[in-house]
Amino acid sequence: MKRSSAFPAAEGTLKRSSAFPAAEGKAGRGDLLFLIAVVVLAAYGVVCVYSASCYNAEVQYGDSLYFFKKQLVGFAVGLAAMAAIAFLDYRRLQKIGIPALILSLVLLALVFVPGLGKSNYGATRWLGFGAFTVQPSEIAKYGFILFTAGYFAKDPARMRTLTGVLPVLGGGIAICVLIMLEPNMSVTMCVGALMVGMIFLGGVSKKALCAICVPVLFLVPVLIVAEPYRLQRLSAFVDPWASPKAEGYQLIQSLYALGNGKFFGTGLFRSRQKYRFLPFSESDFILSVIAEETGFLGVLLLFALIFFIVYRGFRIANACDNFYGYMLVSGITLVFAVQSALNALVVSGCIPPTGLPLPLVSAGNTSLIVTMAGMGLVYCVSRHNERRKFIGYTN
Amino acid sequence: MEDNIINKTGFSLSVLQKRLFAVLAAITFLFCIFLGRFFYIQLLWEDELHYRAIDQWTREIPVNAGRGKIVDRNGELLAGNRAMYGVYARASAVEDAENGARILAGALGTSYESMLEKLTDKAKSEIVVVRRTEKSAVEQIAKTEIAGVYYARNDARVYPYGALASQVLGFTAYDNSGTTGIERYYDSYLKGQSGEILFETDLVGVDLKGASAAYLPATDGLNVKLTLDYRIQALTEQVMERALAENNAKAARAIVLDPRDFSVLAMVNLPAYDLNDVPRGEPDLLNALSRNCLVSDVYEPGSTFKIVTAAADIEEYLKGNPAALAPTHIFPSSRTRSVDGTTIKCWSDHKNGKHANQTLKEALNNSCNPCFVDLALALGKETFYDYLAAFRFGRATGIDFSGEAIGMLLPESSLRDCDFARIGFGQSIAVTPLQLACAAASAVNGGYYYAPRLVSEIFSDDGYVSERVKPALIGRTVSEQASAMLTEMLEGVVRDGSGKKAYIESYRVAGKTGTAQKYENGAIAQGKYVSSFVGCFPANAPRYLALVIVDEPQGSYYGSSVAAPCAREIFSGIIDVMQLQPEGGV
Repeated sequence: MKRSSAFPAAEGTLKRSSAFPAAEGKAGRGDLLFLIAVVVLAAYGVVCVYSASCYNAEVQYGDSLYFFKKQLVGFAVGLAAMAAIAFLDYRRLQKIGIPALILSLVLLALVFVPGLGKSNYGATRWLGFGAFTVQPSEIAKYGFILFTAGYFAKDPARMRTLTGVLPVLGGGIAICVLIMLEPNMSVTMCVGALMVGMIFLGGVSKKALCAICVPVLFLVPVLIVAEPYRLQRLSAFVDPWASPKAEGYQLIQSLYALGNGKFFGTGLFRSRQKYRFLPFSESDFILSVIAEETGFLGVLLLFALIFFIVYRGFRIANACDNFYGYMLVSGITLVFAVQSALNALVVSGCIPPTGLPLPLVSAGNTSLIVTMAGMGLVYCVSRHNERRKFIGYTN
Repeated sequence: MEDNIINKTGFSLSVLQKRLFAVLAAITFLFCIFLGRFFYIQLLWEDELHYRAIDQWTREIPVNAGRGKIVDRNGELLAGNRAMYGVYARASAVEDAENGARILAGALGTSYESMLEKLTDKAKSEIVVVRRTEKSAVEQIAKTEIAGVYYARNDARVYPYGALASQVLGFTAYDNSGTTGIERYYDSYLKGQSGEILFETDLVGVDLKGASAAYLPATDGLNVKLTLDYRIQALTEQVMERALAENNAKAARAIVLDPRDFSVLAMVNLPAYDLNDVPRGEPDLLNALSRNCLVSDVYEPGSTFKIVTAAADIEEYLKGNPAALAPTHIFPSSRTRSVDGTTIKCWSDHKNGKHANQTLKEALNNSCNPCFVDLALALGKETFYDYLAAFRFGRATGIDFSGEAIGMLLPESSLRDCDFARIGFGQSIAVTPLQLACAAASAVNGGYYYAPRLVSEIFSDDGYVSERVKPALIGRTVSEQASAMLTEMLEGVVRDGSGKKAYIESYRVAGKTGTAQKYENGAIAQGKYVSSFVGCFPANAPRYLALVIVDEPQGSYYGSSVAAPCAREIFSGIIDVMQLQPEGGV
């Protein structure tokens, strides 16, 4: 077969042989570089969370390590989850697609149950269980990936017809609607992009793709106009100094942080904006603090690392010998990439400010643990790929 | 590759691979967009952003510049500063308000409750605890280092001589900016450039730990050297104080000028006020007391104005104007003149040969009004108004002082003869005392008119003179010859005429008296006079010129008896102070 290989390292696929059923044999070492990159990024996130939050934590909780400790716990749990998932046989997950979707929808719906839902900054996005809070939208993203991958893998022919794609659309839109009601526009956008992206990656015909994408594109302006605060944010984004104390404040403070960073940054732990000027400095706007402390150079290196993870993720997807693994890995990688990009676009003022964490880096345990677990799953797939590859070569 | 698992799903391998590649390309594109944006913000836009951000990162405590001194022509300090300190607080940075309030109350001698209220007032970002307090109190506060409490130099303005030259010096506002007088006119030099202490704080103003405060030093203001001579000012004030009391007058004023360059040696406005205790609570009183009436108010000069009329006539006569009356001209002896059907009378009854067969010299000695009516009418409006312009009536003299009045001059075009005739002897015209003094100075100094001035130098503490105000000749009024002739006549007025009480043996005082009735609401106010005298010495080369005005003296009201003696005392005082030798002695 002739093909120009976009992924030269994936040559192994050429040697694939169906003579070796995928379910047999032992897994290999997997993509260790991918694994290391993920762990390094998450560990770097813990350091950044400490730097960005220590002053706020001291003022608010009397303990400068408050957010750091929480993030450290999340990191430890995330590592454990990664390790546990890495040794799973991911193909078994194919069966839990529908339950995962149902669980996601239930959790999202529970947010609206008085007493369970927790409100913050005018939005109800969290579920509270005593001292623990969970953000169901973070879980729902992965629930959707599990469902979609499982659904298509069961009968890939579903991809060919619009009606076959409909259940995926239905599940995605249901999640979107529930998240939108919280409200959380950016995560909605993220899930929307994930849905379209997965259908695209799944190989749906161009005609069906158009039929799906055009209404979605049409929906965006409608959603913006529907909620007045979104319009305000949009105008603040065009000229933040028009309302420096209201809508424009967040963006201005982010820009100040970036501007203060220049090329080399002020040095780690030496942000000026984290002294309560920049809201959400340890969570959604942690990238502003990173840009301030490590400068443009630091931003460049950080996104080089993120891009490396995305590239390796797609490479693993490409090397995958089954459709389920391909969909799973490309979905997880896609949502990680989209979310990273959206966060950076928000922080640099390319799109209106919305609340979306930088995956693996921002403070927030649900996001951290779930993302690390997802990355564990990608690694798990890479281990199985290698086993196949190894056998393929020896043959 | 028909054995490929993916192929078995019914798709060609290349479709999925192409799609993966397309998504990766799209993600790369997105990454490039925001990285470009980061590049722009962090490397191209950063200066402007940093400049804007600095403002929110710091809180500043002002460092006041030391205000420049005001000294007299010999360096005598007339306005200086006393080191004092302002105490400020930022409630959001205060850690232990109760303890802080206790210390502040103890050091400043204020109540604990009011201090506690200030230290807990988080509505304001910065609170003035006390605007000015003594150094000892601040030292006490500094020892304890209360978090959130700051202090900075904030000098108090001090005037060593209290009320001396109070309207000239002026006073300053609470923030030490000049409000009136020289303090205001030269404020831009005196005030200097304030500095700042910048504290790095968080959003709500809490100091950052370990951050050092940036100190931007203040630049002290420049000093101003006046042309005033403290000694002459002080003795003139003494003389006028006495005149005010003895005549039970409403006000007593005097200007002493150096006719050689119009530098002001003394300016006295009584009653005055203590610059160290400005009556800020009574705006009307303060406004009246702080007004430099010599510059800002007008009055009808009366007979002192005859100097101008005489000077104009002599000059025209010397120029050969046939309309001008010669110094040898004998004026008609009648007491009255009829102009435009109105009758103008002399103040004297002209009985028993008084004011008979006068020449100009005698007319000046006697201050005979009809003679000056004749002079004015002889010269005509056009010529006479040219002289009024040259002597700067109806115009600003250009003195370096705010609020100069230009006087009131009836417009030449619509001037009636009866009014014109009265201008000849100083009625129907309103001038400022400064205008009259300058006109007289120009008439006796050879006909030179300089811009009067109060300041001679702007200098810094190290003695460097940054600006020197040189005498500025504005124009000529009369010729040197005319001036000499007039001065000789005026010397006669003091020796033989109405100015006798200003006479000082062998010091050659020349001068002219004046007595004007005051008008109120357009009618003559009965019993209200302005007695004045303008004179100079020595007559051959005048060095000192004084204009004395006593407003509404009770009892005797003639300039000759009320004002001339004051001039004599002032001149005697100057002779003593300057140790001037009598004529011939040098």
